[in-house]
Amino acid sequence: MSRVIIRQLSLLLITLFLISLLSFSMSYWFPGDPVTNASGIPIDHPRYEEVFEKRGFDSNIAHQYISYLRSLFEGDWGQSMQDNSEIWDELSLRLPATLELTVIALAIALCIGPPLGIIAAKYYRKPIDQVIAFISLAGYSVPVFWLAQVTILIFAVVLDVVPIAGQINPLFDVPAVSGSILIDIALSDIDHKWIAFQNAFLHIVLPAIVLATAPCVLLVRFTRASAIHVLQQKFVKGAYARGLSTAEVMFKHAIPNTMQPVTRQLSTAFSVLVTNVLITEVIFSWPGLGNWLVRSIYERDFPVIQHGLLVLASIILTVNVFANILQAWRYPQVRQEFYAR
Amino acid sequence: MTTKHFLCSVSLIVVGLVTGCNRALPPEAEGVLYCAEGNPEAFNPQLVTSGTTLDMTSSQLFDRLIEYNESSREFESSLAEHWSVSEDNLRYRFKLREDVPFHSTDFFHPTRNLNAQDVVFTFNRWLKPEHPYHEISGGQYPFFTATRLDQLIREVSATSSHEVEITLREPDSSLLSILASSFAVIMSAEYGQQLLNQGEPQQFDLEPIGTGPFKFSHFRKDVALNYVRHDEYWKGPAASENLVFRIAPNDHKRMLMLLTQDCDISPYPPARDIAWLDEREDIHLQTSMSPNTAFWAFNTDKAPFNDIKVRQALAHAIDRDALISAVYFDHAVRADSILPNTSWAHSPTPEAFRYDPQRARELLDEAGYGSGFTMDVWALPVQRAYNPNARLMAELIQSNLNDIGVNVNIVSYEWSSFRRSLAEGAHDSVLIGWSADHADPDNFFRPLLTCAAKASGNNRAMWCNEIFDNLVTNAIRSIDRPTRESFYHQAQDILAQEVPVVPLAHSIRFQASRDYIQGLQPPAYGGINLRSVSKVAEIERGEP
Repeated sequence: MSRVIIRQLSLLLITLFLISLLSFSMSYWFPGDPVTNASGIPIDHPRYEEVFEKRGFDSNIAHQYISYLRSLFEGDWGQSMQDNSEIWDELSLRLPATLELTVIALAIALCIGPPLGIIAAKYYRKPIDQVIAFISLAGYSVPVFWLAQVTILIFAVVLDVVPIAGQINPLFDVPAVSGSILIDIALSDIDHKWIAFQNAFLHIVLPAIVLATAPCVLLVRFTRASAIHVLQQKFVKGAYARGLSTAEVMFKHAIPNTMQPVTRQLSTAFSVLVTNVLITEVIFSWPGLGNWLVRSIYERDFPVIQHGLLVLASIILTVNVFANILQAWRYPQVRQEFYAR
Repeated sequence: MTTKHFLCSVSLIVVGLVTGCNRALPPEAEGVLYCAEGNPEAFNPQLVTSGTTLDMTSSQLFDRLIEYNESSREFESSLAEHWSVSEDNLRYRFKLREDVPFHSTDFFHPTRNLNAQDVVFTFNRWLKPEHPYHEISGGQYPFFTATRLDQLIREVSATSSHEVEITLREPDSSLLSILASSFAVIMSAEYGQQLLNQGEPQQFDLEPIGTGPFKFSHFRKDVALNYVRHDEYWKGPAASENLVFRIAPNDHKRMLMLLTQDCDISPYPPARDIAWLDEREDIHLQTSMSPNTAFWAFNTDKAPFNDIKVRQALAHAIDRDALISAVYFDHAVRADSILPNTSWAHSPTPEAFRYDPQRARELLDEAGYGSGFTMDVWALPVQRAYNPNARLMAELIQSNLNDIGVNVNIVSYEWSSFRRSLAEGAHDSVLIGWSADHADPDNFFRPLLTCAAKASGNNRAMWCNEIFDNLVTNAIRSIDRPTRESFYHQAQDILAQEVPVVPLAHSIRFQASRDYIQGLQPPAYGGINLRSVSKVAEIERGEP
């Protein structure tokens, strides 16, 4: 097991290194001055010389890369070219907001997706299976921005049960400490915390459901396919033959075997989620990473693009690696695969 | 069937949670949500030009020496109780109120009320390069440079603890309009000194202190700007305890947020939805005339536009009512003078610009162009409040002029080179416009149509008329309003006769609000004021 962990972690390190190299090279690939692209400090700025030296641009490229890494670890991520805000400060408020939405959406997808897939497989080719298969195919085909608009139209404009923008009604005086609204409410000293939580919940429910749809239907489809396969196995028949009840067969034998290939797809689901979160944030004015990154692309705010992509790529990568380790720990077969030379 | 039960109960829980959650706010979070169309550039109106920033800062946080009342079209006292002008029209004295407290916040506790030092401090910031705050936040004061107030004012001095004297280099009756504009707000000298002592002068424009009806609470970029009520406000506390500006750049999104009560007030609804919004019971739509004019300027240096008859003919050839319905969707009024009809000096001359193709042909015949000619119409390449679609307007003009035998080429460049070529006079004619910086009528004459404006490259008609120049100069030199009015009326008559420009339209600004909002004024000249705005109490409007 430790071999798997070491192997995976070293893989993580190497890939992170490659990503950082890519991110570093972007300063050169973007049009304009590389120092400005990396730090956001324009050429005519009084601090330009200082940054030029600090980032090692008076020396060779290897030195520059090392200085770049040092800046990354020191939290000196430069500033936005548009509004001169510190990228690190902005990021540390926006990333938790994005993660909050992502985690909640992932939880929804996990709670709904696999159970539906198993139900569908259990009633394979019965009406309930056909309904679930139809919904999952429809959900799979619907682009997230369209779904977002339609749900806004139905639940916010017509039914008027949920708000459509932001994390909370800004009349609640909740200062942004962590960036994640639920944590911020818990940390704040406002009087009516419970009302604030309700308000925040209403704000998050629609974007979270919209965001959860894509990974959810993905999991439904994977689970259904996997469970259909498992339920046709002889050991299931054997279990029934031994006189076990349906529930015992399902929970003791079928489901654990079904979930093995499904857990491998969790990281795929997560990648889909992160891609969609960018769009969802824009539509619901969620003050997260996606909203910021999309605008920085419009505005050609190179330091923001560079660091935003670095963070997103690192998150996806890290989640992937930890999903692998988790599987290797849980499923010996998978571990064997990782051992394969 | 257990799984079905499970699913049913899960969905019931979710539905129950959503419907059970209350959107009502606790009493301390009551307030008004205003959806603004962008982030504020700074919390100091002196530094900016954008209307968005003015709406969000000027009248909410600060006060001015005097104010302009749009309905009476007179100046009113504000921080200055009364004022007087010396015989030679060069020295203005302002007597300040003594009961005006500054905001008291976490970061500043004022020890004294407003006095003359604050006024001197505020004016000298942009007037004197050696002022400690002059270079802070970039050192650019676009409004005061554009109105040439920095050239006009010789000195601002305190004559007593609550009296200020402003000395001018030459008489200029537009001074009061400039002082009444939303840019000329008064700030705290004591706060400035405190920040200098702390070595953080840049905070001055980030955490503002003023005398206005609301205090700065906090601001998160792209999310919201929170203000709380200034309870000691000298005109009496504001109607609403909290005021929040939400940042929503997309006009469609703003409209949706208004429908879902994520906003209570929203400026600039999308033009295509205005008719629909107007029909809804729960939305109130308010309008006001923007102090701007779209016009069509002829390059009077070039033949055939140096001929008055040709210019008059072209003015009669275009159907301006059709332009307004096609280009502005009727969200503008026809302009019958370069001066908007909200101005006290407005003197309409509709006859000069009447749509009459027959008359246009006769005039062209008289001028010797009976067989027609070919000309360029330059259409401004960007959207402006005064002209949302100059290209479409140019196409309509093209077909109008075709009827009288004039061929039109439509020309458009990228905005910065467009303006540069215009200043050089490379155009035949141009569709452009002007938004006023302040309420004085002078703003529509001297910067646009004088010989001096031609020299500085702002006179799009390249037109220079001595009589007109004398009239507008005399008007600015006199203080007395009836005298000025007669000068401006004569000046507008000359414009109607000479037609260097054809005024086309004054656009209308829209503002939408929910039906439970009370006390909201139509969007005013240069910045809204939200002091009297509040929600109708919950009990009266029932469950939301």
